[in-house]
Amino acid sequence: MAHAETQTASHHFTTTGLDNRKVAIWMFIGSECMLFASLISTYLIYKGKSVVGPFPHEAWTNPATGQAFPPILDIPVTSVSTFVLLMSSLAMVLALAAVENRGKPVPPGLSGKILSSSKLWLFMTCLMGATFLGFQAYEFTSFVHEGLTIRTNLFGSSFFTLTGFHGAHVTAGVIWLGTLLAIDMKRGLQPKDAVWVDIAALYWHFVDVVWIAIFTLVYLIQ
Amino acid sequence: MATVAASPTYTTAGARRTGIMDWLTTVDHKKIGTLYLHTALFFFVVGGVEAIIMRWQLMRPNSTAVSAEVFNQLFTMHGTTMVFLVIMPLSAAFFNFLIPLQIGARDVAFPRLNAFSYWVYLFGGLFITIPILFNAAPDGGWFAYTPLTGKAYSPGQNMNFWVLGIQILGISSLAAAFNFATTIINMRAPGMNLMRMPMFTWMSFVVQWLIILAFPVITIALFFMQFDRFFGTNFYVSAAGADPLLWQHLFWIFGHPEVYILILPAFGLVSEVLPTYSRKPLFGYPVVAYSGILIGFLGFGVWAHHMFSVGMGPIADTVFGVTTMLIAIPTGVKIFNWIFTMWGGAIRFTTAMKFAIALIAMFTIGGISGISHASPPSDLQQTDTYYIVAHFHYVLYGGAIMGIFAGIYHYFPKWYGRKMDERLGSIHFWLNFIAFNLTFFPMHYAGMLGMPRRIYTYDAGQGWETFNFLSSWGAFLMAPAFLIFIWNFFRSKTRGEVAGDNPWDAATLEWSIPSPPPEYNFAQIPMVTSRYPLWDLTHPERMKDIPHSMDGWDEAKLRTGEHVTATGVHEPDVAPMHIESERKSAKELGIPMPNPTIKPLWVAAGILVLFSSLPVMYAGKTLAAFAMMAVGAVMFVGFLYAWLTTPMEDAH
Amino acid sequence: MAAALPLLLSACLGGPQYPNSTFTDHTDFNRDASELWNTMMLWGAIVFVFVEVLLVYTMWKYRRRPGGPEPEHVHGNTRLELTWTVLPAVILVFIAVPTVRSIWRFQSGAPANALQIDVIGHQWWWEFRYPEQGIVTANELYLPVGRPVNFNLTSKDVIHSFWIPQLGGKRDAVTNRTNHLWFTPDSVTPNAFNGSCNEFCGASHANMRFRAYVVSEADFASWAAGQAQNAVFPPPAPDTAGGASAATVSNPAPAQAPALPLAPGYMFPAEQLPAHVVPQTPIPDGLVIPDEVLAAGDPQRGFEQYNRSLCIGCHRIRGNPRSPGVIGPDLTHLGSRHTLGAGLFRNDARHLAAWIKNARRMKPLSSTSMPAVGLGEIDPFTKQPVTAALGGLNDQQIADIVAYLLALK
Repeated sequence: MAHAETQTASHHFTTTGLDNRKVAIWMFIGSECMLFASLISTYLIYKGKSVVGPFPHEAWTNPATGQAFPPILDIPVTSVSTFVLLMSSLAMVLALAAVENRGKPVPPGLSGKILSSSKLWLFMTCLMGATFLGFQAYEFTSFVHEGLTIRTNLFGSSFFTLTGFHGAHVTAGVIWLGTLLAIDMKRGLQPKDAVWVDIAALYWHFVDVVWIAIFTLVYLIQ
Repeated sequence: MATVAASPTYTTAGARRTGIMDWLTTVDHKKIGTLYLHTALFFFVVGGVEAIIMRWQLMRPNSTAVSAEVFNQLFTMHGTTMVFLVIMPLSAAFFNFLIPLQIGARDVAFPRLNAFSYWVYLFGGLFITIPILFNAAPDGGWFAYTPLTGKAYSPGQNMNFWVLGIQILGISSLAAAFNFATTIINMRAPGMNLMRMPMFTWMSFVVQWLIILAFPVITIALFFMQFDRFFGTNFYVSAAGADPLLWQHLFWIFGHPEVYILILPAFGLVSEVLPTYSRKPLFGYPVVAYSGILIGFLGFGVWAHHMFSVGMGPIADTVFGVTTMLIAIPTGVKIFNWIFTMWGGAIRFTTAMKFAIALIAMFTIGGISGISHASPPSDLQQTDTYYIVAHFHYVLYGGAIMGIFAGIYHYFPKWYGRKMDERLGSIHFWLNFIAFNLTFFPMHYAGMLGMPRRIYTYDAGQGWETFNFLSSWGAFLMAPAFLIFIWNFFRSKTRGEVAGDNPWDAATLEWSIPSPPPEYNFAQIPMVTSRYPLWDLTHPERMKDIPHSMDGWDEAKLRTGEHVTATGVHEPDVAPMHIESERKSAKELGIPMPNPTIKPLWVAAGILVLFSSLPVMYAGKTLAAFAMMAVGAVMFVGFLYAWLTTPMEDAH
Repeated sequence: MAAALPLLLSACLGGPQYPNSTFTDHTDFNRDASELWNTMMLWGAIVFVFVEVLLVYTMWKYRRRPGGPEPEHVHGNTRLELTWTVLPAVILVFIAVPTVRSIWRFQSGAPANALQIDVIGHQWWWEFRYPEQGIVTANELYLPVGRPVNFNLTSKDVIHSFWIPQLGGKRDAVTNRTNHLWFTPDSVTPNAFNGSCNEFCGASHANMRFRAYVVSEADFASWAAGQAQNAVFPPPAPDTAGGASAATVSNPAPAQAPALPLAPGYMFPAEQLPAHVVPQTPIPDGLVIPDEVLAAGDPQRGFEQYNRSLCIGCHRIRGNPRSPGVIGPDLTHLGSRHTLGAGLFRNDARHLAAWIKNARRMKPLSSTSMPAVGLGEIDPFTKQPVTAALGGLNDQQIADIVAYLLALK
């Protein structure tokens, strides 16, 4: 995998000195910014425009059935999953550092050993990403049980689509990092493979940053 | 070793496949460019036939040649085809063929991703086009305004093909844009700093950024529409409180940059053509480059001028009216720089030059009519009338298509080693030029005399008959003009006059290598010292006022390697600017080339199967749809895995 | 010369052979747009002539001559670049200032005394309501000369766009929104104008037309009074109708005698209609009901037949309690209209009968709009012949209904 999409003949020379993949991932992230900007804008434009409930921050009683719906967003639970996702970025940084420093002398002691284990930190990143997804799955199912689906109202459509797109990005990231972990277990990632970990890390940090925006705009601001 | 120029063929390395498999597996940017070119010309014929049927219907009032349903499919598909399947891919053909040659690279940054982009484009194009044969083509307009295109008002499969087809084509455009932008940023020859890039590459660079930033917006807008139609969401459902204008805003935030995605490559091409045939460097090179950037930048701030009639209120109308007028400034700057490139030159009126000059003349008309609807109160009398149809055809046909024709005539010798016939070219030009004006100029009148757009019929006695009659005959004349071009194009591939490596006495890197270029492009990557590296060698007297420097040379010498030829000679990968006329194979030269592979095609096919499952689901065949999804997903994941785990080139 | 060009152009294109020309100055809105257009075309013509002359001169002067000298290799000129950056900017100021002034004049609210008209777009016809006068009508507008009209536009289904080229425009009718458009028809003698839908709205987008009649204040009042009352049926007998004039109608609604048939109001005289507002759309083959059958149509029989037919499910005739429908156009005063099918056909017995027989063949419609009613007709959506059990009517029954509807003046 590590050799997969390297450049053509003039391997050693790029204009910027950066690897092509790294240049491309930055542009990909630029593109993704516009993608999430469109999603978040739509959510904000439709905020408060739903004809029927349930609503994110306000209680609602169905006038037809008399059924009462509490505000649907559970901010404490989501704060926990947000924290987990943010911590995964830290693990990602450590994983990349471990790959880049492979072959250099390991600092003495247990902490040095732990810090230099790329497998451990890749695994931790994946685990925390998967935990976040677990929280999201729980959130989605409980919303559906409470009577909010993607078809219910504008809030449902825009909320599930926005957070669902983010969840899909996290899922893709977990698979990507999982693949890197598998390679690491099989043959060990070397500093020359670092660019693969590097671009995965850039993607992962981006997905985290987007979640901070979503968490603030969707959950915290009423 | 030099191949005789009279029988130009691509040199092939050992592992190359032959015949059709060669084309299905190629990762060579030049061949992919050829594929784009031919596919786009095919779709050009399709879109042209659609237009001619429409003009046949509109030639007389109360005509019943086609039904309303068919007409609505025709104009929807004409717009969609010409924008997404003709002009963009024709530009992509030039991106592919030219960018690596112009910047002195051996291929694009990601050759296999490049093949993937092409196959996705082909499959997406067929996906969206084939339904017209079954009277089921999209019929909601190329702009697909909601709520008309929602399930409630368009319950048929028609719009499903549109929303999914554009989504597929978006994948192609985005993948290609990341690829070309990376190529331009990162694979320029030593010494070629940004302000030495050929102007076509410059404009292409701007276009890639526009695609990167504009396409995600339409992607999301399409996802909403797709979810509404397939999964019952409410994004564009009025009854649920949705704002029908959300689609319009998202569509035009994409749609206006899209206009520049269509026109800037043509601007780039004429910026290559005009200096060459005037024997002068481009006048005001930095200004032309900066104005292109400015057009791209402003292009994101004017989208709502497509929406002056939706009732946005006076503040928005003022802001968008004024920003739209501002775009006239950088565009006008380009026009004047082109004219002053010709000023004082020694102008050769080749076919390419005629088309380039026609772009200046015709685009000016489109620009002036554009100003008249940058002013909202005036636009209210013009929007959605034939005046607008006239305007954007002057911009897109008079601009983009004329520029692309100029590019085809100019680069054909590089592409095929032979020139296109100039006499036929001249007939093509004049017939096309007259037919174009005959078709579209009367539309200005029809529009200002009250004729709405997108109508399949109109009543007699409205004062529109003469103009429609003229427009229709203009359209009928465009067909023979195009056929002459096609005849000339295919005939010249094998029977045209042998061109030589630099038939037009041009100044940029692509002309310093054999025609057609060998698969590796440059045996040694040239290190350049100025904006016109080839003229440094052929016309040093023209270059005395141009700054020269050896920026980046030392670094390049340090960082680049060498290749070992078949005879065991160590050749450095870079060399000072030179002309390469010898044609050897990559193997002889020891230049490692990416292996051909069919995997990108299969990954693209997986995407096609995945998307095709949704109309099947819409038809109620859930089980079959899930089966298709499973097959598509397996194809996609499986071949992607195989692709990523196969090294691009043999170990060396 | 360049200055004269746009003015000349506007003058030529405002002539009577171009009945929908935007180069007519019948309203304040229209005049403002024309002034802007003239300003822009003046500058546009100057720029156009300058650029094209410069281009052609350059081509001619600097064409390559055998043995000609090697061109001088100029790379640019800062002063020139500045000139052609600044000059267009200055021209744009001359365009932008009147533009902005005009935006704020016509897109802020309408004058307080404006006549309010609610415009509701439907696939594919226009509903017009005059809330102050209590009028609901379709596809034909009456506007009093000299008084500002404020259109409040919205839509029942998809986006439509409201435009009367000779009076002003254009404004979209959008669901979940109310848009406004106002102008004053101030310099026009009684006249009739074509209007159209300008936003693509589906199969019959081309057939969503309407008419606007600009009439005197008195005629408007008469028309409004006539339209505001309930259906005038049975029509007044000759002796009571003899005194019906604008004067009597201008004092409408004698509440003390509601049973008395009232006199119809003003209707734009058919003989004064300009040719371009008289539709020429042909009737499709096989839908024409013979004239002798139509002549035998009896309004009273038609009234009874109508009340038993499918029509009442969708159409409303005020004063006929059996006909409360709200889906289709209001038919209370159908006989007072000149056109049919959203400006597509003349409103006479032949066309109305054909329309009732098979509306879906007269004009491409949706599966939810007016079905075929004529016995034996093949409905384009169901592809089945219409039977009596489905509510089908024979030619004579249709002729009776036509007689009834056309009597509703």
